Amino acid sequence: MEKYITGNVATNLYWLGRYLERTATTLNEISKTYDTVIDIDKDAGVKLYEKYDVVLKYTNAYDFLKEAIFGEHNANILNILTNARENAIICRHLLDNEAFGEIIELHGLFLKTFNNHLEIDYKLIDHAQSLIGEIWNIHSMRHHKELSDSFFRMGKIVEEADYRIRFHEDDDQKIIQSIYKEINSICKSLTKNHDESPEVLEVEGNTQDERLTQLNAKIDKVIIG
Amino acid sequence: MLEKSTELHNKFWEIFSKQDRNKIDEFKLYMDKFAINFNLYKDGNFIEQSLPFDVIPRIISKQEFTKIEKGLQQRVQALNLFLEDLYTDSKIVKEGVIPQEFVEQASGYLKEFVGFSPSKKIRAHINGIDLVKDSSDDEWVILEDNLRVPSGASYPLSIRDTYRKIYPDFFEQMKIDPIKNYPSIIANAMDYVNTGGINVLLTPGRFNSAYYEHSYLAEKSGALLVRPHELTVVDKKVYFKNYNGKLIKVGSVYRRLDDEFIDPKFFNPESVIGVPGIIEAYLAGNVALLNAVGNGVADDKGIYYFVPKMIKYYLGEEPILKNAPTYLPHFKEDMEYIFNNMEKLVIKDVAEAGGYGVLFGHEMSALQIEDLKGIIKANPRRFIAQELIEFYDEKCYLKKDLQDRKADFRAYVVVGEDVKVWNCGLTRYALEEGNYLVNSSQGGGFKDTWVMEL
Repeated sequence: MEKYITGNVATNLYWLGRYLERTATTLNEISKTYDTVIDIDKDAGVKLYEKYDVVLKYTNAYDFLKEAIFGEHNANILNILTNARENAIICRHLLDNEAFGEIIELHGLFLKTFNNHLEIDYKLIDHAQSLIGEIWNIHSMRHHKELSDSFFRMGKIVEEADYRIRFHEDDDQKIIQSIYKEINSICKSLTKNHDESPEVLEVEGNTQDERLTQLNAKIDKVIIG
Repeated sequence: MLEKSTELHNKFWEIFSKQDRNKIDEFKLYMDKFAINFNLYKDGNFIEQSLPFDVIPRIISKQEFTKIEKGLQQRVQALNLFLEDLYTDSKIVKEGVIPQEFVEQASGYLKEFVGFSPSKKIRAHINGIDLVKDSSDDEWVILEDNLRVPSGASYPLSIRDTYRKIYPDFFEQMKIDPIKNYPSIIANAMDYVNTGGINVLLTPGRFNSAYYEHSYLAEKSGALLVRPHELTVVDKKVYFKNYNGKLIKVGSVYRRLDDEFIDPKFFNPESVIGVPGIIEAYLAGNVALLNAVGNGVADDKGIYYFVPKMIKYYLGEEPILKNAPTYLPHFKEDMEYIFNNMEKLVIKDVAEAGGYGVLFGHEMSALQIEDLKGIIKANPRRFIAQELIEFYDEKCYLKKDLQDRKADFRAYVVVGEDVKVWNCGLTRYALEEGNYLVNSSQGGGFKDTWVMEL
């Protein structure tokens, strides 16, 4: 079991987990919305991106995919994956080699599509989702034994909580409760040698912003160095 | 010119002829997928790129490697004794074996460290020694000693794994020495000099050209990968700051940054990649630095001339591996020889590295030679001259064709309780046919090196 890890590497592992999960959930939303935009609700994409605070403009379903994935906004998948790649390079010595390779491939997939103006279709999304699934599979086979895995995993579930709070809070209270339980459990194990233990995370706060702030504040108390 | 084929080469070509050559492309895909990069800055831009790799390995027989091994052990042992002597009693200078002014003018000589002896008196722990095989007599010749921060070992280590996966036949049918032990040799060397605490590998950071190597060696050797600001010095002791804020004592630092940047309090105050106070801790004997500070004097191109003399002086032995015939303009008779033979010599600027500052007399015009003579006369310590070694080419599979390229060999010698020579190394080949410069910074690529027997 690793005992030591720098604050920088811990932070990069955490954000790697977040960016990968963000890519997966965003692609999932794009995929579902794409289907709706085709012939059910042309404005479904506009409504989806309002939740990201993005005003998305597109002419048809195909254009929706292009704008959603490569448009100039903060939910651009290539930008998210560029960040994930940076995180992965910084903490590669603590990642499974295969998982690291899949992350580089995942980024390369979107970069190549963007640079070469290749067609963006459901196959790109399917391929990306299957790579992300593989990365988490490889990770789960390590049985969360390593300290580094805990930071990586924590990033994933915090992003999941963030996503649920932003997109599906009304429907998913029980799911959010269970995610918080897992966050609390990982935080407990990561902070057992801290001088001060962070408070247990509860689903509270009146507004979405308050809940998100509370979630992020918890993490700030785990990575001190 | 190629080396005469041996049975080992013949066996290799026999197996190679039966392999699917389309699979060669998989090496590049692998290096890209796993970001096995050697980064560089060009015109102010950071470029991530993989080193060109050639699939035809350099083959060295076990018997031949044993001689190289003994020669390198002898040389590095002498270089360590020289450094320890130079910074303590300085007998070799007092007895006139090496001129004092020659040492003092070496840019890597740090007089502030005179009188200090590091942990276990080892100074050159991890060394990269560059050799070529001379086609005139089939002997290996030392071209350069790198005793500061030699890099490159991770590339053959990484590619060997891939080679085994893509072309297992070679490893099934021939006895090729396994090489995975290099990180454990490094770990043992770190443990040996450790002054109490954890081992760390200090990297300048993610944008360093060799960050891949730093990350790889940290992972495989078990040393913690740290950036300078993640270390702190308290009461002349070095600590690592854990993610939870706790300070953990550091006993040994495999540092991958140069002397002048390692401590802004001691050296360059403008260095933003150093650890303030680490030299104070080092001088107090509270931490080991691999490699020691001040080693630059021993791998100075001018001091290289004296290494055979060091071997005789410290070990009472004849050198097993020879230097390239070298002349120092510092000595009058050498200056005369150089000036009379410039057209056939190689002139090297001692301050340069990476293949820069190397001038080939046969490529220069009469006017250029005259100019250079003037420059040498004005500053003789700045240059050395060497006979041009016609070293062997290696076969390379480039652009789907077999081509000959000059190739050198960087051997890695690690000093801990023993002096270990890694049974692999970095074979570097030149970008163009006939080019003698094989450095990565000159566009050269690398090959795997197989130490083997039938």
